[in-house]
Amino acid sequence: MMRALAIGGFVIALALFAAVEWAARRPGSRIPSLADVCAYVMRYEVGPVPVGRIGLFGFWWWLGWHFLAR
Amino acid sequence: MDHPRELAGTEPRVWDRPVVSVPMLVCLSLVGGQLPSFSASANLYTLGTGGALIWLGLGARVPRRPAPRRLGTGAVWWLLPVAVFGVFEGTTFVLHAGDDFPTFSRLADPLLEDELVRSAAWFAWLAAFWGLVRR
Repeated sequence: MMRALAIGGFVIALALFAAVEWAARRPGSRIPSLADVCAYVMRYEVGPVPVGRIGLFGFWWWLGWHFLAR
Repeated sequence: MDHPRELAGTEPRVWDRPVVSVPMLVCLSLVGGQLPSFSASANLYTLGTGGALIWLGLGARVPRRPAPRRLGTGAVWWLLPVAVFGVFEGTTFVLHAGDDFPTFSRLADPLLEDELVRSAAWFAWLAAFWGLVRR
């Protein structure tokens, strides 16, 4: 029962990601695509240091290591 | 520190075109899909490919697409899937109930044991990483 709840929750979350991305790609949509959100985050800099870029790259690197190497 | 700026509109280099980059990512993914979890080779391969992409992404070697200067109010919709995922990942992680109430990665592990699925996951990870490098 709890296992089904966890699976259902993750499936709903993934479906929501797909639904919001789909809504973002509709013509005239006010919702930015996930790629645009990431690009915006990556613009963030503290002084000369591209903190947003480093942070997102680091997160994605860790995610790949976590799923594909561990 | 000198920052590379957006190079939108410039002629893409040969290796930056999809006809070159996609087969390259496919080859890298097929190799990655052969490497088993917890092996030294998988660790080194992940660190090597990720490190190379970060090196490309932090330098001025790859043309970037222009980033939006501001996000509209519609961006808050992204909080919905993030929140749902975060609640379930956080709860399953904190309760630590194993297979009875598994985390996302615990659910993904058996699927990733298949070489084809593993290669597909590698491709998704590398393609998204390449997309980030070019933003």
